[in-house]
Amino acid sequence: MDLTDKEYVERCRDGHAEDFGLLVDRYQKSVFSFLAWRVGNFSQAEEAAQESFVRAFRSLAKLRKPESFYSWLLGIAGRVAQEQFRAELRRGQDGEAAEAMRTNATSDPADYPLEEAMAALPENHRQVILLRYYEGLSCQEVATRLAMPLGTVTKTLSRAYLLLRQELEARDFRGS
Amino acid sequence: MNCAECRDNFIACVEGLLDRDQSLQCQAHLETCAPCRAEYEKVAKLQQCLVARGQAAAGVRIVESVMRRVRQEQFKPERETIMSKLFRHRWGFGLSAAAGAAAIFTVILLAMPNAQAQAVAIMTKGAQAAAKLTSIHLRGQLRTAPQDNFSAIMPDQDFVTIELWKQFEPELKWRVDKPGRIAVMDGHSTMLFIKPDYGYKVAQRSSSAFDTQWLHEMADLNKTLENELTAIKARGWPVTLTQQQGADGKAKSVVSVEAKSGLGTGDYLNNKFFSTANTRRVYQFDNASELLESVQIYLHSDAGEKLVFNLEAIDCNQPIDPAMFQLQLPANVSWGGDMPMLPDNEKYAAMTSEQAARAMFEACGREDWTEAAKFFNPLTGSMKQILGGLQVVSIGTHFTSVMSLIMGAEFVPYEIKLKNGETVKFNLSLKRDASTRRWFVDGGI
Repeated sequence: MDLTDKEYVERCRDGHAEDFGLLVDRYQKSVFSFLAWRVGNFSQAEEAAQESFVRAFRSLAKLRKPESFYSWLLGIAGRVAQEQFRAELRRGQDGEAAEAMRTNATSDPADYPLEEAMAALPENHRQVILLRYYEGLSCQEVATRLAMPLGTVTKTLSRAYLLLRQELEARDFRGS
Repeated sequence: MNCAECRDNFIACVEGLLDRDQSLQCQAHLETCAPCRAEYEKVAKLQQCLVARGQAAAGVRIVESVMRRVRQEQFKPERETIMSKLFRHRWGFGLSAAAGAAAIFTVILLAMPNAQAQAVAIMTKGAQAAAKLTSIHLRGQLRTAPQDNFSAIMPDQDFVTIELWKQFEPELKWRVDKPGRIAVMDGHSTMLFIKPDYGYKVAQRSSSAFDTQWLHEMADLNKTLENELTAIKARGWPVTLTQQQGADGKAKSVVSVEAKSGLGTGDYLNNKFFSTANTRRVYQFDNASELLESVQIYLHSDAGEKLVFNLEAIDCNQPIDPAMFQLQLPANVSWGGDMPMLPDNEKYAAMTSEQAARAMFEACGREDWTEAAKFFNPLTGSMKQILGGLQVVSIGTHFTSVMSLIMGAEFVPYEIKLKNGETVKFNLSLKRDASTRRWFVDGGI
């Protein structure tokens, strides 16, 4: 049975460092996707995702709200992406990479900030979205994995879609 | 089915979970109820975005690499200094020295099956042998259209010659040539010229630019090695090593890497560029000198495997004529750059990609070049000659690819009839400019 983010974080803090791998497994694809959207380069996004998780592990003791692990992690990933961008600018040598990052970093953030919006979802809703779309499971497979009826999966998805749309619209409004 | 029942079924509908009767009832309601239809389209669009984001990340597996670093920090503090320095180099985008490549080789060797480790060892030695280059010239044959992007792959086209000249000392300069376009970095600025009359200049030096990165990586074996090793380890790309006798009678080591793009076969950009293609890369090294001698890249598709790139010449440390890094351009070149903010910019920024495509084509049809230029960066004389007086036959509904969603581009199917009577049916690539938010033509003509 999968534990919650809070439970995994607490186990890591209690000395079960290997459990951090389960958090990496849970969020590696959404963090990568978030970074790919930010930097526009798959190779750099993967490097930045690795760096983000390692930094998160180092700082785990400082996380005040373990239940907010995912949004905290995205904050770290955002800073790593920004550092990459600044490093490219400082080096001033790789115009292509810097240009790609600049273009995407200044693009309208209301376009598809899906991973950020997902941070606002209740954890069980986010988990269904991650399994269905980022892990590529069918709804039936999600139901089996989470030991819940198929109808509950679709209801959770419906609610998650509604909340995601509300969050995206609110960001769009705040952005404008 | 009423509105409430229909909306309750939206997710089941987009997920394909409704039975035939329910699906038909839902569709029937949507056809007659505009508010529900609009709501359904929003749900469907969000689902498309989620699917695209998931597909883009499908090949990502970083648990092992992250946990290796975590374990080093957690359990082996006595190794922390050496290992963290090593990995910081690797993840700090800097593995350019042969010493770094050798260190990575050691790490990979511990974790990989023996045959794969041997293949990696050959590549590492090749990287070390090539580490002291002062210049390099690569010449290859690529199946592509002469004027298309430097990394565009077109398996049905004939081979065209593509060349890279790169000077490392005393100052970094480079030039990439194919029949229809040239990119040059002269030590101070980087320039792209697409024949006959398009130019784009960036006022800074660069190690690669304008879609030439794959060729530069081939010239920098350390970089190639770094990328290949990362993918072999992180994504499980198969790598093999065979020993052969070359045409010169000497013993050769041949390393073959199966590269997966991670894109679905239905994705529009799948197999269209090196970065989005499923390929087999074959590197041949001479056993005595340990130097890389040739590279072949084969495209994998439903039609089978086809050679799309053959690196036929590698000249190291030969003097390069300084004139190679100076471009002599015709006087009628139109230069791309920052797109200007228009007085009525909002009107254009509010357009959908379909509306922008139609407005652009119709302006070309009227030969209203002031209006048409608002959709180009820039509109060249040769483009005016091609598109002037055209007739729009049809504009379809836009679609996207995983990569285009990330880069903010959309494809709009179109059919036009040119003034010379020729009918063109293709997909226009439109991208939103970051500062003006206007769509501009990024390809597809």
